[in-house]
Amino acid sequence: MSQILGLAVLFLLLNLVAGLWRVARGPTAADRMLAALLFGSTTVAVLLIMAEWMAMPALRSVALLFVMLAGIVTIAFFGLPADEDER
Amino acid sequence: MSAQEWVALVFLIAGCFFYLAGTIGLLRFGDVHSRLHALTKADNLGLMLVCASLAVLAANWRITALLVLTWLLGLLAATVSAHLIARHARRVEK
Amino acid sequence: MSVDLLIDGLLGLGMIVLALQVVSERTVLRSIILFVVFGLVMALAWTRLQAPDLALAEAAIGAGVTGALMMMAWRRLLIINPEHSADTPRGRSAVAIPVALLSTALVATIGLSALNIEPHIDTAGRVALDEMTDTGLGNPVTGVLLLFRNLDTLLEMAVLLIALLGARAISAPARPEEAAVVETTTPLVGALLATLVPLSILIATHLLLAGTNEPGGAFQAGAVLAAGGVALVLTARLQPAKRPGLATQLAVTAGLLAFVGIGVGIMAFGETLLALPGTWAVYLIETAMMVSIGLTLALLFAGAPALVGRRA
Repeated sequence: MSQILGLAVLFLLLNLVAGLWRVARGPTAADRMLAALLFGSTTVAVLLIMAEWMAMPALRSVALLFVMLAGIVTIAFFGLPADEDER
Repeated sequence: MSAQEWVALVFLIAGCFFYLAGTIGLLRFGDVHSRLHALTKADNLGLMLVCASLAVLAANWRITALLVLTWLLGLLAATVSAHLIARHARRVEK
Repeated sequence: MSVDLLIDGLLGLGMIVLALQVVSERTVLRSIILFVVFGLVMALAWTRLQAPDLALAEAAIGAGVTGALMMMAWRRLLIINPEHSADTPRGRSAVAIPVALLSTALVATIGLSALNIEPHIDTAGRVALDEMTDTGLGNPVTGVLLLFRNLDTLLEMAVLLIALLGARAISAPARPEEAAVVETTTPLVGALLATLVPLSILIATHLLLAGTNEPGGAFQAGAVLAAGGVALVLTARLQPAKRPGLATQLAVTAGLLAFVGIGVGIMAFGETLLALPGTWAVYLIETAMMVSIGLTLALLFAGAPALVGRRA
């Protein structure tokens, strides 16, 4: 089972690499922010799996913090004028 | 592998599938408002299934409660974030 | 090839690529978003290095404070100088490539020579771990921070206070409309706050108490409290005020006061300076530090000497 958890982590990380393309490409600021949030939710899953895989229960707290605080950066983003990023 | 591990494995594979679906949606959908679905739907279902899988593996009420809390917070954060990002995108479009 | 190696390689490569992108993106906003993503990958890397304390700090500071801080700084720059967005300074400096090559050579040289060093047996880390059993603390990080190198920790608290005073000295207090970005009528935000703020207090307390035996501690707890404060500032529930009241002044200095008070007071009983008399002193100092760190970070974020609740 340990091997399978490791493979799941690897799979989700490869997912992130694919998602990076959207962060890089945009085209709007909202797209980039959205991709960053998808990064966040995938990271949370990776941390939860790692907590079980590497037997480090503290990682569940790290995941909880990320998921709890994900909204803050979006609220700050909401206040930005985004037209500068349009091409 | 025990029956418990088989159940966990099924949940884990299903969870990874929905994460993959979310990423494909993010890459392939045509505009911001369509791509929001990837964040609000596919990924949260993926997170729920991963949490379910880990809860089955851990077989511990304290850990299960923490996983459920993480998932619920994920739902809340995704809902509010998607709403704010959509409003932001609308403001730019006008 | 093993799965562990693939994961670590992917994380390492990802961090280098992201770091390069952060400094070379065309617009400031893109760099900020990439920096947020970089923080996520960084937390995963700390995890792989068996450093959950640092992963916790990265999560609390990275997700809760720095991303929002940089976005607000960018927003304020645009308010001060609306033309700024057009002339974002881009284009590579002529020294960029030589500097990059030199630093790569330096890192490679140090890295290669480090590979040949025999690991020392009597490192400070091992001595600290051996001494931990007598302290009654289970988390070696907290032990080192508060018992073995507590003068450093004390001075870090002083630096934080000086940073706040310095920021207050050089910048005009933020106007209320500059600190908040979301009108109080925006739907759903209230629901998020109603969960986030009580939970941040709960989790900060948990991290503080757990910090003596497992990953956590005053710095992480303070950062989580600050994140709750940042959310309240962004949504106009807390607004910048002109002068700090007695409560604010006490809370900002509480960490330093408790640390110095106990550390010096212990000398009256014939102990040496800063020889903490037991776990109760550790708990007391950590609690005071958590309050100071949380409030100081929130005040620095808001760019104000004090915060008050919104008057209806």
